[in-house]
Formats: sequence, C-alpha cells, structure tokens
Amino acid sequence: MSRTGGSAMARSKDKSVKLPDAGGWQDAIAVPAAIAGAILTTAGFLMAFLWAAPVNGAAVNGFEMIGDTVVTHQQLISQKIFYFHMPAAIVSFFSLAMAAFYGIRFLMTHEQRFDTCSRALMEIALLFVIMTMITGDLWTRFEWGVWWTWEPRLTTYLILMLIVIAYFVLRNAVDEPEKRATFASVVSIIALVDVPICFMVTRMIPSSVHPVVLREGGMSFDMGVTVLVVLIGMLCLGHALYRLRFRSLRLRERLEALKEILDERPMDNPFSGGLPAAVSPVAVHEARETGPKTVLRPNGEPRPNKGKIRSEYPTCLLR
Amino acid sequence: MMQYARPKKPSTWQHFCILLRKDLRREFRTREMLTSMGLYALLVIIVFGAALALTARDIDIVSMGGGLIWVLIVFTSLLGLGRSFSYEKDQGCIEGVLLVPMDRSVIFLAKAVANMLFMLVVEVIAVPLFYFFFMTGSETSSTFLWIIAPLVLGTIGMAGIGTMLSTITMHTRAADVMLAVLFVPIIFPLLYACTTATTASILGSVAWMDYYVIPLVIAAGFDIIMLLVCWVLYDFVISS
Amino acid sequence: MNPILADIYSTVIPSAPYLIAAYALIWVALLVYVVFVVKGIKKTERQMAALEAAYERDSRATD
Repeated sequence: MSRTGGSAMARSKDKSVKLPDAGGWQDAIAVPAAIAGAILTTAGFLMAFLWAAPVNGAAVNGFEMIGDTVVTHQQLISQKIFYFHMPAAIVSFFSLAMAAFYGIRFLMTHEQRFDTCSRALMEIALLFVIMTMITGDLWTRFEWGVWWTWEPRLTTYLILMLIVIAYFVLRNAVDEPEKRATFASVVSIIALVDVPICFMVTRMIPSSVHPVVLREGGMSFDMGVTVLVVLIGMLCLGHALYRLRFRSLRLRERLEALKEILDERPMDNPFSGGLPAAVSPVAVHEARETGPKTVLRPNGEPRPNKGKIRSEYPTCLLR
Repeated sequence: MMQYARPKKPSTWQHFCILLRKDLRREFRTREMLTSMGLYALLVIIVFGAALALTARDIDIVSMGGGLIWVLIVFTSLLGLGRSFSYEKDQGCIEGVLLVPMDRSVIFLAKAVANMLFMLVVEVIAVPLFYFFFMTGSETSSTFLWIIAPLVLGTIGMAGIGTMLSTITMHTRAADVMLAVLFVPIIFPLLYACTTATTASILGSVAWMDYYVIPLVIAAGFDIIMLLVCWVLYDFVISS
Repeated sequence: MNPILADIYSTVIPSAPYLIAAYALIWVALLVYVVFVVKGIKKTERQMAALEAAYERDSRATD
C-alpha cells in the first residue's frame, strides 16, 4: 500500500500499519489505466464484432458457403452482448472480493481508512453488477423472448445486486462511524461468502424448468481472447473509477477533519477579562508536551499559535 | 482464618447452557414469541387462502405446496428474529452479558439455538396447519415425511444468519425493514435449495431423490460455512 | 437473396436493437457514475472554499 502523508505531524505518530491514501502508485497509474481501459474495451468491442466467430443458432435447411466456411446454422449476433456481460460480472465479483478484503483489514485494525476503501469498492461492484444485469437482461429478452427468467446467472447477479444495495442501505441507517464501519465490513464478508454459494446452488440443482444457458460452456479461442481483452480493459477502468471515488471520499474526510479542528479553536471570550481564551492548565500542558506547532496561513506565512490545536485525532485524518 | 473456596470459572459450555436456559425459561414463562409467531403463521395461511381462492381447483397445490410452506416460514422467521434481542435491549441485559469475561460468540450460539428451537416449534404447528388448509383434498405421496430434513436444515441456517443480522440491525433505524432487506438476499441459496428439496419430497415423483440429495448437501454446506463465518465475526458485531 | 442466406441472417435485424441498447446502457451507466463522483468532488471543493473564507475571516478578526 502507498506510504502515508509526508507531513511531520503524521509521521510522528508511530504507524505500524500502512494506510492506503490518495496519491501514490495507484493514483499514478489511474489515468493511464482509464485510457488503457477505454482502449482495451473498444478493441474488445471491435474484436467481438469483427473477429470472433458468430455463434450458431438454430439449424437452417441446407447450407451456404460464406467466406470459406460452410454455414449450416443461423448466425446469432445477439450473443455478442456476452463479450461485455461476462467481464462485467467478473469485475463486479472481484470488486466485492476486494471490498471484503478491506473489510477484514478494518476489523483487524479499526482504521477508518480501510472502511473508506471498502465502501468505494462496493460502489464499483454495484456499478458493474448493474451493467451485468442490464446486459444479461437484454440478452435474455432476445434469446428467450421474456424479460426475466430465473436462470442461474441472472438470479445470482440479482442476489448480488440486492446484497450490495442492502449494504448501502445499512450504511445509511447507522449513524456512528465506528459501528457503521464494523457492520458494513461484516456484511461485505458475509456477502463474499454468500455469492459463490448462490452461484453453485442455481447451477448444481438440476432444473427442468429453468433453462440454463450452456452456450458459453465451451469457449473457442477467439471468443476467449476477446473476453480476456475486454476483461483486462474493464479491470483497468474499474481501478481508475475506484481511485477517483476513493480520492473524492478522502477529500471529504480531510475536509471534515479540518472543520473539526478549526471549530475547536476557541473564540475570544468577551467575559474573560482580557485574558486570551483557553489558557487552561490542560492547554498549557498540552502545548508543552507537543511543542509549538507551525500552522501556515493560506498565503504561506506562519500563523501565531494562539489556540489549542489538538495534535492527535483528527489530524490523523489529514495527510 | 476462613478459607474461601474460589469459584471455578465456568466453562464455555456452561456459559452456553446458562444463556440458552435463560432464553428458554423466559419463553416458557411468557410464551410471547411462540404465540405471536404461531398466530402470524396462521394469518399468512389465511392470506394464502385469499390469494389462491379463485384458482384453488385449477392449480396443482401439491407442487406449489413446498414453495408456499417456505414463504410461510421465511416471513414468520423474520418476525421472530427481529425480536430475538428486543427483550435484552429493553432491559439492558446486553451490557450485563458483555461484562462477563467469556467468548462472545457463545452469546451468538445460545441465541441462535434458542431462535432455532422456537422456529422449529412454530414449524411443527404451521406445516400441519398448512396441510390442513390446503392439501387434504389432494393425493400426497408416500415420501411426504421426508420434508423434515430440509425443514430442519433450513431452519438452522436461517436462525444462524438471522441472529447475526438481528444483532447488526438491532440499533439501526427501521430495524425490521433493515433485517428483511439483509436477510432475504443472504438466505436465498438456502431457501432455493430447501424449497427444491421440500417440493421434491412432497411430489415424490420417480426421480425425486435427484432433486433431494444435492440440495440438502448444499443446504448443509451453507449452514456449516455461514455458521462458522458468523461465529468468527460475532465478536466484532456485539462489541460495538 | 437466396432463402437459405436470408434464414441464416434472420436474427440479425431483430436482435440489433437489444444489442445496441445493451452497449449504450453500459456506457450510460459508466457516465452516470463518473458524473456522480465528480459532483461529489465539486461539492467538497465548494465546502473547502467556504472553509478557507471563514478561516481568513477568523484569523483576520483575531489578529
């Protein structure tokens, strides 16, 4: 993980746990990743339509020579949706796994930063699972003529989507940050364990009623390569989006921390009889303990240290 | 000089027994949860009656029966699980229990077992009731009694997950809705497997074992995995 | 066009709207998310500016 911020205040606290932060190698590769993602997905899109062989549908009476192959089935173009459907599903599950990983790290260390990472990753998972549902649903609509079937893939992604939405509803319902982070981490871990079971359930139970789309069971080489290209592109895109969201959340956190610090500066008390405010034994003791701190004004010159500025929380939220 | 016999620190098993006995004793004295859950099951059956009234002769109630039984069980469980900690919360028991130096996952186990027992009792009432209201007119197969296994396995899983989620949602706003929103998606694999097994055993057609054994294995696997995960994570949840 | 060829390609035109809709909606979903995140960043920047202004006011007042 990247190094923590470079200010003296942050480094003075003994950090045995490296916290992920904005800036660092992940952000350095975020913009190239976004571009790479866009290029790769576009390449995959073109490959899907121009290079990968179309899939055979129902048989036709007779045969035709197209190009240099004998074609005896209807050529399905709707299957091309699959090339974006499966990578989106894989990326969403990968995001969920990473969110659960950060959830575990939060439970182990109780550092707020991991909860922020977990939340940003869950949002990415939600985004990609929505993309999966849209493509899957449109594919089902054309293939089977109905807008929804309770087939394994669609059902599993529906459940995943519901769990991720439940995660966000839970986050909104809990006010205290520590509790919220704990509960969210636990739910993300349960979700990670639950989704593969759900997938297995719908596949392993032999079902005569529900059509299982087995077409992707055997993937030819060109299909596999196209899917791989789009997958890597989507992973890059997902990473770029995750860093964007994470930086946005971190910025907000730092702003709130700054607000809290500046709010704690006591205003001059009109009844204090001329004494500067907050000259209490505690404040003096604290100032002696931690030494004078140099706070810079926005124009760069040092501001005289008049008020009590707490050195620990929430400056740990600052860079 | 008086010699005090230092009391031996109770073992985990004894903690578990004490907590479980406390829940069971309270329930036997007040019978509050059982009556409310039992009544709720009856009300759901009545709603089914209204819902299926017009088509009662046309639909094959025997094949739909398994699914409907599980709808009944899920909604009744949601009611019961939502209130699993309400008594402790109102009386401030939770802080007291947390003061005891013990493995906090034992609280989870005791509460989950208590919930499971309550749900099993309600099922013992509700399933025959369902049969009485809907299925006496149709031929049920000889394998009907095999529904006991999926019912038990499903109840174990739902009690475990439900207790964990009830602890999480206990302090949130709109706790009941929050519990339902979390409970149903997470329980879905178990529900799907148990419903398949139940329907298979009610129908009892030729190849019914195919639809029975595999789902039960999956349900058992789900129970074991989820109970382990909840056991490990419970300490974090109840301590916050 | 000979009827076999027509049959082979018969599913292309009916499926085209779904295909186009699928890819277009993927794009829309990504764009919506990016807009959402950027709006969040802009809101934070506005709050930061307000904070800086308040801080300037305060430090000028207590100097």
